[in-house]
Order: sequence, then C-alpha cells, then structure tokens
Amino acid sequence: MATIAHDHHAPEGHAHAHEDHDHDHKPAFFQRWFMSTNHKDIGTLYLIFAIMAGVIGGAISGIMRAELAHPGIQYLGYFAELLGTHNPDMNQQLHLWNVLITAHGLIMVFFMVMPAIIGGFGNWFVPIMIGAPDMAFPRMNNISFWLTVAGFCSLLCSAFVPGGTGQGAGIGWTAYAPLSTTGAQGPAVDFAIFSLHLSGAGSIMGAINFITTIFNMRAPGMTLHKMPLFVWSVLVTAFLLLLALPVLAAAITMLLTDRNFHTTFFDPAGGGDPVLFQHLFWFFGHPEVYIMILPGFGIISQIVSTFSRKPVFGYLGMAYAMVAIGVVGFVVWAHHMYTTGLSEDVKMYFTTATMVIAVPTGIKIFSWIATMWGGSLRFTSPMVWAIGFIFLFTVGGVTGVELANGGLDDNLQDTYYVVAHFHYVLSLGAVTSLFAGFYYWFPKMSGRWHSEFLSYVHFAVFFVGVNLLFFPMHFLGMQGQPRRMPDITPAFEHWNQVATLGYKIMAVSMVIWFINIAYAFIAGKKAEGNYWGEGATTLEWTLSSPPPFHQFETVPVIKDEDHH
Amino acid sequence: MKPTPGKGMPVDGGLTFQTQYSPTGQEALWMHDNIVMWILVATSIFVLALLVWVILRYNHRVNPTPSKTSHNTLLEVVWTGIPILILLVVFVPSMKLLAHQYKKPPANALTIKATGNQWYWTYSYPDNGGFEVISNILPDEEADKRGEPRQLAADNRLVVPVGEKIRIQTIGADVIHSFAVPSLWFKLDAVPGRINEKVLVVNEPGVYYGQCSELCGARHGYMPIVVEALPRPQYNAWVMTHAGAKIDGAPEAPAPAPAAAADAAASAASSAPGA
Amino acid sequence: MANNRRIAVMSAGLAVAMLGLGYASVPLYRLFCQVTGYGGTPMRASEGQAGQVRAVAGRTMSVRFDANVDAGMPWRFQPEANTQTVQIGQRTLAIYAAQNLSDRAITGAASFNVAPAEAARYFTKVQCFCFNQQTLRPHETVRMPVTYYVDPAILNDPDLKGVEQITLSYTFHVVPDAAAKGA
Repeated sequence: MATIAHDHHAPEGHAHAHEDHDHDHKPAFFQRWFMSTNHKDIGTLYLIFAIMAGVIGGAISGIMRAELAHPGIQYLGYFAELLGTHNPDMNQQLHLWNVLITAHGLIMVFFMVMPAIIGGFGNWFVPIMIGAPDMAFPRMNNISFWLTVAGFCSLLCSAFVPGGTGQGAGIGWTAYAPLSTTGAQGPAVDFAIFSLHLSGAGSIMGAINFITTIFNMRAPGMTLHKMPLFVWSVLVTAFLLLLALPVLAAAITMLLTDRNFHTTFFDPAGGGDPVLFQHLFWFFGHPEVYIMILPGFGIISQIVSTFSRKPVFGYLGMAYAMVAIGVVGFVVWAHHMYTTGLSEDVKMYFTTATMVIAVPTGIKIFSWIATMWGGSLRFTSPMVWAIGFIFLFTVGGVTGVELANGGLDDNLQDTYYVVAHFHYVLSLGAVTSLFAGFYYWFPKMSGRWHSEFLSYVHFAVFFVGVNLLFFPMHFLGMQGQPRRMPDITPAFEHWNQVATLGYKIMAVSMVIWFINIAYAFIAGKKAEGNYWGEGATTLEWTLSSPPPFHQFETVPVIKDEDHH
Repeated sequence: MKPTPGKGMPVDGGLTFQTQYSPTGQEALWMHDNIVMWILVATSIFVLALLVWVILRYNHRVNPTPSKTSHNTLLEVVWTGIPILILLVVFVPSMKLLAHQYKKPPANALTIKATGNQWYWTYSYPDNGGFEVISNILPDEEADKRGEPRQLAADNRLVVPVGEKIRIQTIGADVIHSFAVPSLWFKLDAVPGRINEKVLVVNEPGVYYGQCSELCGARHGYMPIVVEALPRPQYNAWVMTHAGAKIDGAPEAPAPAPAAAADAAASAASSAPGA
Repeated sequence: MANNRRIAVMSAGLAVAMLGLGYASVPLYRLFCQVTGYGGTPMRASEGQAGQVRAVAGRTMSVRFDANVDAGMPWRFQPEANTQTVQIGQRTLAIYAAQNLSDRAITGAASFNVAPAEAARYFTKVQCFCFNQQTLRPHETVRMPVTYYVDPAILNDPDLKGVEQITLSYTFHVVPDAAAKGA
C-alpha cells in the first residue's frame, strides 16, 4: 500500500526477535488467557474457539451425511440415545434430525465463521495493519469473546433439554414462527434464542470496537483510502453487523415473548403475522451472509496482491464494491421468501435488486484476476488457496443468478440447489478464504512455519472433497430433493452417496490440517518477520513473528508517496 | 391411476430438472436451459480460463518482473458494463416468466384448497360440494405394492382436471408448510391464518409427486404431495364418488352421457386412491 | 480517548436505533399493510365513506368466501355461500355461520386476508365480525355478517386487469380465556 517511513520494529532491527519478547511484560497464564485485553491474544482465543466449534459443527454434518446416504432412517436412533433420550421413538429420532440441522447452521454461522474471520483474523490484524497498538476498547474486546463462548454454551445446553417432540431445538437456524413459538414446547428453543442474544451482543460490541479502532486509531498518514483492503472489508462488515444484528435481536426477543409471555407479534390468533418474522429475519439474514464473506474478500485481496508482487488492481473500486455489496445487501432480503405469497410487483423488484449484486461481485472477481495479470506469481500455499477461492466463489456466485429469479426460484426454493449454492459461497468460499488467511498468517501469529507441502496436500484433498460433497447437490436440488429432511426417496440415493463420499474426503483433509498445525508447533522452523518477502507490504510484515506482545510502541508513520 | 415410471417424479441419478408438465413450468425450464444455464457455465469457464492463463503466463518463472499497473479505467468500465448487459439478457425473460406465473385464473376456474397440517395435507373442493380429502403418506410396503416411489406416495391424492386453469389456494393449520410439486414448477407456502393462491395448469394426465418444502416439525419429511391429473369426465366421476359432491356449482352433476359416466366412474373408482 | 468514546457512543446509538426499528417494524408493518393492502390486507371504511361510493353499472366481480379454523379448535365455521357475484362499488352482505361443537364457551378471534394480494387495496369492509372477538356458548350457532364493497378504483388499475375473482379468507383462532374480553 504505502511505504513505512519509520518503524521501531522493522524486522531488520530485530535479528533477535525472541529477546524482544522477554522485554514484553506478559501477564501470568490465567490473566493472559482468561482476562485478556490484548488484541492478539483475544484473536488467538477466537481462532481456537472457532476451530473447536467447527469440529463440532463439522461432526454434526458427518452424522447428517451418513444418514442421507441411504433411504430410511439408520443412525438417528443411536445418536438420540447417545444424547440421553432412552429408547427414542420415531418422532424423537426425527426431531433429532431437526436439532442437528439447526445446530449445524447456527454453529457454523455464529460460532465458526464469524468468530474466526472477524474475531480471529480481524482482531489479530486490523490494529496491526493500521499501525495501532491495540483495539480501541481492549476490555470490551474481552467481553465480546466471552459472550460468544457463553452463547455457544447456551446452544449446547439446548440439546439436552426438552424442545417439543424431542430433546433440543429443532426449528432450523431460521427459527420461523410459528414452528419456533407454538410449534415447539419446552425450554430448548429458549436456550437457542438466548444463545443468539449472547453471541449477537458480543458481535455488536465487537463491531463498535472495530469501527472505533479503524476510524480513530490509524497511524499518521494511514488515510481511509490507504488502508489495506482487509481493513476495509472489516469496516464494512462491522457496519453490517451494527445495522443487521439488532434487528435479529428484536425479532428473536419477540419470539421469546410470544413463547413465554402471551404476546402475539407473529401469531395470527392475536393479529400478528408469521411472515413478518421472515421479513425481520432475512433483513438480518441477507447482510449476515455478506458479514461472513466480506472479510474473506479482504483476505484474498491481501494474498493475491502479495504473491503477484503487485498492488491490488483498482483499489478504490475494490473498496467501494464492498461498500456497494453491503448497501445492496440490505434491500434484497425477500428473495429468501419468494414462495411465501409475495405479490407480482414485489417479486419483480426483489428479482431485479438481487441480480444487481452480481455487478459489484463481478468487479471483485475481475479485479483479483487483473491484480494477477502482469504479476510475478508465486504459488505459495495461501496463494493456491486464494486462487481456489476465486474459482469456487465464482461457481457459487453464478448459481445465485439462477436463484435470484423469482420465477425460477419457485422450483428451487428450499431444495438442495439452495444448499449447494450457499455452501459454495460459504463452505467453499468463506472457509477457503479462512484457510488461505490461515496459511498466510499462521507463521506470523505463531512464529513457526507450517509445512508448505502438507498445506498443498490439504488444499488438494479439500478441493476434491468439497466439490464431490456439494456439486451433486445442484443435481439433487433440480431433481427436487427438499432441504431439511432425514430421509430420501431411492431416486436421490446415487448423488447422496457421492456427496457422503465427498464428506469423507473433506474430513481427511481436516486431519491433514491438524497434522500440519501439530508439525508446526513440534518441528516447524522459526519464521522471520517478513517471511513472504517482497510483495508483502502491509504493516504486519514490519513486525517480528510472532509480533511483540505490545506492538508499535513508537507509532509508525505512513509516507505520503501513496501508490496503491 | 398408476404412475408412469420417471414421469412426475425424480429419476435415478438425474442431473437436471424434472420434465415439466405445466405451461409455466415449460417456460421456466426453457429459460433455465437456454439462457441462464449457458450464462452460468460460460461465466464459470471464462473465470477459470482467465485463472489458468494468468497462472501459466504470469508465474514468476515466466515473468520475473511484475508490472506496476494498478488502474485501467476503461477495463473497469467494461467489467462493470458487460455484466449489466448480461443481466439484462436474463432480466427480460425472467420478468415475462413472472408475469405469466401471476396470470389470474378466470372467475369460474375450479378452486381447490390445500391445508397443511402436522403432518399431512387436507384438500378441500369448495366448488364440488365442499368435501375434503385427507392425504397421508403410504407406508413403504404399501407404496411398493402399488408401484409408487417410497416417501413420495400418499393414500389419497389431490385429484385435478387436466388442461384447465385451477386456482390452488394454500393455508396452514398449525405451522408453515409448503405445497410443492417439482414437475409442475409449483411451490407455494401454506401459512397459518392467511390464504395464498396461485394458478395451476396440468398439461396431461398423470401422477405428479412432491414433498412439503418448509420445515414443519418432526415428520416434515413424511408429508408427500401427490397430484393426479385426470381428463374432465374422469375427474367429474371421481368427484361424484364423494358424499354430497356436485360438479362446479351446478346443484347436481351435469349428466354426462350415461355410458360415458359409468365408464368414467369405473375407471376413476379403480384408479382413485382410497376408493 | 474522548474521541474514541464519541465514535463508540455514535455506533452504539446506531445499533440501538436499529433495535428500535426492529420493534417498531411490528406496528409499522401493520400500518403499511392497512394502508397499502400489502400482504392481502383488505381496506376498512366507515358507513359514511361507504355511502359515497357509487356502484358501477354492468361491471361485476366474483367474490369467494373461505373459512378456516385453527387446528384443535372445536368450531365449525363456513360461509353460507361459497361465491357471490357483486356489482363493483355495490355494498353487499355476506354471511358466515359458526358453531361451537364443545361443551364449554369458547372465544375466537378471526384473522383474515384477501387473495390475490394485489386486490386487497380495493376490497373494502364496512362491517365485519372479525372486528371483534366472538364468544360462542356451548353448542351455540351464530350467523356472522360481513358487509363489503369492491372499490370502483379497481377498474383503473392496470395491475388488476385480469382479476376476475377475489377470495376473502378468515381463520378463527382460540383466544385464551385470560385474554378474552368480556368472556
């Protein structure tokens, strides 16, 4: 982005980086990890938490894939018993399915992707990239993290209390009324809703923290238009969080009072409208998908620029494309509701508005390619993941054009085509960007090198696995397989088996990843400050790896000779 | 009526949409096959080709010194403009399709109401004397015996006349359900406390399967939808097998030729599920 | 630091405003529906307003009446006639009949909407049993009137050109005893 005129912690000045650590006054273990106010430690906590949540959410999808591979119900009884229902009857087993899909969705969205990409990488690198010593409100940062953990605990608790037909909340991550109100007796749904309150409060605090940090704590010379794109992406995301999450909070609070205090916000018996809940949910829910993917866009921009040894192409276009995606994201929500009985004009509007999103998204894709164009590409592991991201996200994006069409969506709404679409943009998009960011920054965060070889193997196995897992879902969806069902008619068996095979391959790739992490900590060689060399120009590369506990004790100054 | 294998139901290992048996379904499928699908595939291949090209051409061994270009206004205008043009190509037929899907049925169109219950469907025929048909899933063995796909077969079907505009209305009795038939390109939520309506035309006689398409609780996977389309005489005969039934507002059945009626009744009785 | 606090307070204010908007959306949505007919919400007119509407000779509309009862509510509820053909602008009376099939008094409240949704802003109710809760004694049967008219403005709306029939749908829901007024 811009050249650093003066920096106390330039790697050249730190031949003995580890010595520097000894001068860092790190708190004792409990204080450091449980009462942390250090943005890097909190970022690390977020990443560890996200990995643990991801393992649980991923294991749940394993049960789902196993069950769906064949017609009939095979495993639900066993797992219902495991979770404490003695001799579960068929309804209790089927209820468990709904609990699994609900938990998988909520965990992956609120406790895996968001904590990893915003809480983890955002916390770690936003302050460093803008030359700030820490976040604006370090103690609030700590509260944000522990609220997220508390929310996760509340969600786990919900699995062990009654939720209507069986144990746990089986209402889908969308929690549509009246299934989530009159349709589900027992405290499980209350626990699940409370879990969203807690993690939502944490995310809103985090958003306030990021906005304040980015607006107010930039180093001298770091103007908004010189900020690295990752910082831009987190800024836009923070605004989306700030505007979208309170609406979810209001909606689910109304669910709670409908459930427990005889209000009728969404109950037609008292003049309420269940469809209003869907409007509110998706007013939050659509920006939410951009909350999950925009920081990924930022990560990919950093990586592509670094390994092309070129500045990002069309920097301003890239930044404002994200702003545009964020803004348009607030006016397209009802494309999730095409079959609820919208009138013709409304459906035409939402079809048009939704298709418009393809334009800024296209700008992003083409700008990444243009950044590589004329560059001197090095195919390090993060770069390989980033290129994988660009392709997979494109495949996920184009099916969005099909789904955007209200007339076509009549046959695709709530089928596996939708499942395929959002897993391509999230499970293959957001998650791939997470892995790209992980390999890009892991040596920076840990001070140790992972094995590049294992990273390539991880990518190759993951790529094959997820494509086998999710591509056949397009076929299943077009053939009409509905979402959220534990059972299939025999015609769907073929592609479901392929998908389940894909899951197994993907699971192997996760094992490779864990081995890679273990390797880094056991035998990984030490990483220098700027281990990617020329091309890595943002401020984190001016620090040692890992960066000192307190960075930028002397404020870096960004020279005016700007050339993004 | 016995279902025709592969018609109105998913096929083993199928790769694309089910064959369509309604006019708007055919239009939508045409639009998917001939416009949208090409754009999706072309865009993906175009991006893939660009990626392959930059990987081969600009890898650091081939191109050791990177260029410093980071702007090209013309290029940026082009890649904003061309997607807009492509979207316009999709926009026109998609608006047409929506307009056709929302074309209203005439006043005298047959009206049938589908009510979603946990976990079965009720079909009522207000224009045929107001009788109701309760439709539950068939157990696997029974479906097998009748030559129907498991999980999709129902004991009683939603019987409709073929080739007519039918006003389908949906409503939920407890939670939200969704009435969906993939081979007719039809999906409409059944929301408690408010009626939804949409026109349905079935081109040819047959049995068309669908499933509830909105999460509605434990047995959400087990409330299939089966539409059986019959020619008008058979439909009328099927209607008259119900107590208190009449044909389309007429106080009594408009007497079809006795022989034809008997014929139709016989064929309907043998094919009508649960009869 | 003071500056930090200012930005934080502004952001928090934005979040609180959105929270408020979330709650406000309930009455706003209701108002929006009542004014625009969105979601199939029919209009409501006073006797005075209704008196000024003139019937349009020779232009008719078919109106269908639909009746539903919540799952588990022991009432029978149906229109006396399935359809009526009315002159546009002409105030018309329709009758529904409801019967309590149980041995206890039950209070019901009716939700309602109009299909197709686009027609709602021209479907105007003057009097309706749905404006109030209805209490039926054990096994009591009552006839419940609705007076309505189809606003002649419908003839000038190009969006409504093909509409030949409008359905008015009601669903009765049990009002919990505690919430029932005067029960």
